[in-house]
Amino acid sequence: MSFDLNFIGILIGAIMASSVPLILAASGELITERSGVLNLGVEGMMIIGAISGFALMVVTDNLFFAVVGSMLSGLIISLIFGLLTQSLLTNHVATGLALTIFGIGMSAMIGKNFVGIPGKEFPLLFVNLKESIPFLGPVFFGHSIILYFAFGLPFLTNYFLKKTKTGLIIRAVGDSPTSASNQGINVTLVRYSCILYGGAMCGLAGAYLSLIYTPQWIENMTGGRGWIALALVVFATWSPIKVLIGALIFGGITILQLHMQAVGLRIPVQLLSALPYIMTIIVLVVISRDSRKIKLNTPTSLGQIFYKEK
Amino acid sequence: MNTKLKVSEISKIYPGCIANDKVSLEFGSGKIYALLGENGAGKSTLVKILSGVVKPDEGEVFLNNESIKLNSPLDAKKNNIGMVFQHFNLFETLSVFENLSIDSDKKDEELRELVNDILKKYNFKIDLDIPVLNLSAGQKQKVEIIRCLIRNPKVLIMDEPTSVLTEQETDDLFISLKQFSKDGILIIYITHKLKEVLSLCDEVAVMRKGKVVSVSNTIDEKIESLANKMVGENLNTIKKKINNFKNSEEILKISNLNFKSDDPYETNLNNLNLSLKKGECLGIAGISGNGQNELFQILSGEIITEGTSIMFRNKEIGKLNPRERREYLMAFSPEDRISQAAVPELKIYENVALNNFKSSNFFEKGLVNEKKIKEHSKKILSNFSVNTDNVELKSQFLSGGNLQKLIIGRELITSPELLVCFNPTWGLDVGAINYIHETLIQINEQGKSSILISTDNDELLKLSDRICVIYKGKLSKIMNADTVTAEKLGILMGGGSID
Repeated sequence: MSFDLNFIGILIGAIMASSVPLILAASGELITERSGVLNLGVEGMMIIGAISGFALMVVTDNLFFAVVGSMLSGLIISLIFGLLTQSLLTNHVATGLALTIFGIGMSAMIGKNFVGIPGKEFPLLFVNLKESIPFLGPVFFGHSIILYFAFGLPFLTNYFLKKTKTGLIIRAVGDSPTSASNQGINVTLVRYSCILYGGAMCGLAGAYLSLIYTPQWIENMTGGRGWIALALVVFATWSPIKVLIGALIFGGITILQLHMQAVGLRIPVQLLSALPYIMTIIVLVVISRDSRKIKLNTPTSLGQIFYKEK
Repeated sequence: MNTKLKVSEISKIYPGCIANDKVSLEFGSGKIYALLGENGAGKSTLVKILSGVVKPDEGEVFLNNESIKLNSPLDAKKNNIGMVFQHFNLFETLSVFENLSIDSDKKDEELRELVNDILKKYNFKIDLDIPVLNLSAGQKQKVEIIRCLIRNPKVLIMDEPTSVLTEQETDDLFISLKQFSKDGILIIYITHKLKEVLSLCDEVAVMRKGKVVSVSNTIDEKIESLANKMVGENLNTIKKKINNFKNSEEILKISNLNFKSDDPYETNLNNLNLSLKKGECLGIAGISGNGQNELFQILSGEIITEGTSIMFRNKEIGKLNPRERREYLMAFSPEDRISQAAVPELKIYENVALNNFKSSNFFEKGLVNEKKIKEHSKKILSNFSVNTDNVELKSQFLSGGNLQKLIIGRELITSPELLVCFNPTWGLDVGAINYIHETLIQINEQGKSSILISTDNDELLKLSDRICVIYKGKLSKIMNADTVTAEKLGILMGGGSID
């Protein structure tokens, strides 16, 4: 195998692309969980986003409507979760699991008529720069606008949580909804907003898959990425920057092990396929082993039902 | 600035209990008011209504002769009513400053300046940029107070503020409260501790079973008169017979107890020696954190120490775990009722079953013998006058006093030869304290022994036959109770000597 700098650049670009859905979904879920709500429906919201984005693209022939529509449908399906857990006070875990099962079934039903239809080409930015600069070109240029957004999102999220009043309120609600309510904060409203935001981001993550990454509809095309995103949030100890690192490691090793499989190394395929999961967990556990920081970042009320005393 | 606060005919009914029954009270600034009552008398409900957390079913609140609506905590804030709850309303993982800024409309720089002024004015020492979970209980309370002060409160309500404080912190709090009162803030102080009412407050309203039963100036009151109003009957003063144990048989002997901990928050114990005779009560006094916790855990077998000899009824038990020690007829009542002594989420009979040993037959061939446990639990509930006969009730719904009765009952129903208890009346109201004290005296009269580790000196002087003081992990000389005074104990607890 010849050492080709440009090839490595392309490889890094591919790794970045493959981690986009994880970053989007995990960043959204991170905000939801920081408000104390555990929504295990990430996978379901992603796949609903994927099918509605693709279907809207086919029907309207407009990528903008497709992207916005996928976010809206993620938002709507998370609204179901919000109604159940925040207004009807159902258990977060059970409701989230139901949401995933519902999303997968629903998307397969809608998607029946869209199987085999080719996708539309999604506009990529700075394509000429990608080709004219070796190595750095394929790393930084020639991506979709959603990729740039995804890579900015963890930093925005970090700033939002740490520096803004709204971020402070979300963290406060996640720490102790009772205290927040006694301070006059509308806990239910805050939690609803965070759930809806998480839903929209998961919808966008799904649309990235069906419109850009593999532009077509395949049943069950999220392939467990929602679960990985959920795990990333926990192992990254609710830190947006660590979510980004974790997503890149996961994406990186996924791509690399595919290449290793192609080269034909004498390592069992099953072991190679398991590698991304193992390595991501190991790295995240190692970089977030400061127990004091974990305690400060963990939303204490995660998964707890809140109701106001009358 | 004169503030007048008036509650008029306030009623609040919960299913099965009238928390407030036509409560009417008047307060004016410049004074500190006590709201006194046993647990469950309705004090907390009243202050929840005043702070907008709970809505009353009937009645009105007037601030400076104007009727105000308190539908939410925000309304209370708007009307400059500040409230410090018994269970802090702080965000543990946020920094002190974030906790303060969350409900302030001010810019960060302005707020910081204001907070620093408050810190200086009242001589509070708190680092604003560390997370609240690193603060002591006293400091957390100060954060709560600062949060109220930021809003220039007209009224400041303190709900049982000293239940989590050390003596020093309590003194500091009282100094601050008097200062606030001088600055024109109306202070309502909720408590069930009689001494605090007399030393801090100007006027006192006593509540019982949801009703206000008396309003008076504290100058006209004494501890006994307040206690009787609070409980509603004449409490008989308990007095213990002083016994002579010269010829009694020795039941417990501990020699060379040393304990060295790796945890910087634990206290090391240094060469403790003590012995106990049949029917005797040994009191161990001390300011909390001087090794009482560690000593209790060593006595109960939660911690096993090397090289220590614990002889109990002529058997060496130093290596046995708590359950094995119970088989030898020792019993234990830990300080923390909620997390050490009982599991609040479990039902009463399940909590009783936790304390099983071979002879109890609670379990047969790995199966739970529910009928037997329930019968046993019912016996405890009736013998120890716990205020329920429902063994299916979750323990968390018992008041502190009833839970403590259940725990003591669970320990005593097996007639142990030795009971070790640690702050058995901590946070309880007068009625429950009286009951526990009577029970502890009774077991001594039946020839059983007890070790009472307590931070309450009155309790120790009342119940003990002999007393010693633990200070920085060392025991003082053991003295006969009739030669000991509160002053002597105070000197020893502070590390002085009295010879």
